[in-house]
Amino acid sequence: MTNVILSTKGLIKRFGGLVAVNSVNLDLERGSILGLIGINGAGKTTVMNCVNGLYRSDGGTVHFDGQDITHWTPHAIAHAGIGRTFQVPRVFQRMTLIDNLLVTSLDSKETDADLIERAEHFLKRVSLVELRHNHGEELSGGQQKLLELARVMMFDPALILLDEPFAGVNPALCRLFIERIQELRDSGKSFLLVSHDLTSIYRLSSRIVVLNQGEVIAKGGVNDIKNDPAVIEAYLGQ
Amino acid sequence: MNEVLLLNAAIGGIVFGAVYALIGCSLNVLAGVLRVINFAHGEFIIAGSFFAYVLFTAFALNPLYALPLCAVVFYFAGRVLYYLLVPRLAKSDEPETSSFLLMFGVSLMMVSVMTWIFEADIRPFNFSFEPINVTFFTIQDAYGEGRHGRILVPTARLVALGINAIIIMGLTWFFYRTLPGKALRAATMDREAVQIVGINIHKLSSIAFGLATALAGVTGVLLAVVVPSIDPNGGPDIVLIGFIVIVLGGLGHPVGALVAGILFGFVEQFSNVMLQQAAAQMVGFIILVAVILVRPSGLFGKAVTK
Repeated sequence: MTNVILSTKGLIKRFGGLVAVNSVNLDLERGSILGLIGINGAGKTTVMNCVNGLYRSDGGTVHFDGQDITHWTPHAIAHAGIGRTFQVPRVFQRMTLIDNLLVTSLDSKETDADLIERAEHFLKRVSLVELRHNHGEELSGGQQKLLELARVMMFDPALILLDEPFAGVNPALCRLFIERIQELRDSGKSFLLVSHDLTSIYRLSSRIVVLNQGEVIAKGGVNDIKNDPAVIEAYLGQ
Repeated sequence: MNEVLLLNAAIGGIVFGAVYALIGCSLNVLAGVLRVINFAHGEFIIAGSFFAYVLFTAFALNPLYALPLCAVVFYFAGRVLYYLLVPRLAKSDEPETSSFLLMFGVSLMMVSVMTWIFEADIRPFNFSFEPINVTFFTIQDAYGEGRHGRILVPTARLVALGINAIIIMGLTWFFYRTLPGKALRAATMDREAVQIVGINIHKLSSIAFGLATALAGVTGVLLAVVVPSIDPNGGPDIVLIGFIVIVLGGLGHPVGALVAGILFGFVEQFSNVMLQQAAAQMVGFIILVAVILVRPSGLFGKAVTK
């Protein structure tokens, strides 16, 4: 089995005349966290949307776990083992927290009691089990992000895409989020992490890819990226 | 105002309100899950009425037995129709507008087919329950001293109300207690989010279309029992009431459809009793316009900021 779990080759996405993602090559090693950074509009979320099938790419390929998943539907990609959270959380607002998790198990053969027990377990891990009968809309933005993480954990994907998980989240919830990410990584999960919070990215990621205007301008370890002149110029405007 | 008439209007309001609620619920399922405004829903309902009519005239089958058969046949017909028509809409620049036009076309086609088979005349549905009416209670001096007025309710209406109540309870159980029902509710809230948690949106949408079509068929059978005449051209009037109900209740809100259906039923029945015919027909629409002006998202819907 290859050690690369996710690989994009020459990924392209256009919106009319705008090339949002231009020949992006990524390799994410199994059980690691790959940070994806860049200024607003660099194409980070668009890459994620192409990987998990919400956008149909205009060129290039996406391989996951040895399979070519380019142009697969989002649900097929989720079944293959890719989970996703969003910058603006997309929880099911008028459903209870426990139902938010249970809907991921539509095709499950488990009994209702087992599913509920598992959902409560994951809600407990993100400190939301006490609120399990509340509706999603009653949670704060940070809690909704944790609920999304619990929802992803419920269907146990091998790769989790996290889009700005720390944006607008208070420090206590942020710490909890980071702890859970580290636990999941230690248990063998892989992450593609998009964040503006460079401190968290540097702390969590083993490798980082920097995007600017849809193109990769640098990739490497944390120290390489910190000292890369192209990154400093593009990202920090210096 | 005569107490007998008012009480009859109240009972009629509940009976027809429950039917309207069912129409609103099924339209809401389609609008919420598929983002499809089903202009042909009225014709599906009329087709349900003809389904009961054919089984009754050809095989003397009691419409109560036709109900489950109709639900099953219409469910699978709806799922087939979904796969034939709806997925292609996603390729359109404006799927919602296209869906409206497409279903308008389906509506015209169904009217033509039903007129071709059953001719344009209104067909009487000669089925009745025994006893025909149930006497609820007697009001003394309803028509003056010494003259009693009775509240007579057609048995068909009571049976239809009972079946409607069972269907609405069943729907509530399905949407709030089963995983497919929860998935359908989730899809009304965020179609993309259900896909990224591994739900096949086309399969789910076909279930929604099948369910809505089955509900339309069942509504048609119940309508044929309550109003025993079937008009192949009656679909637009029915679907208009359905649209009023979902706008009143809030698009995509099942409880809203239920309350709005009952409310509209009451308003319609009381207006028929208290106002002249022409004025009575306007009242429902006046309420609709008032709700849109004062609370555009409906009684139960939430305002969306864009």
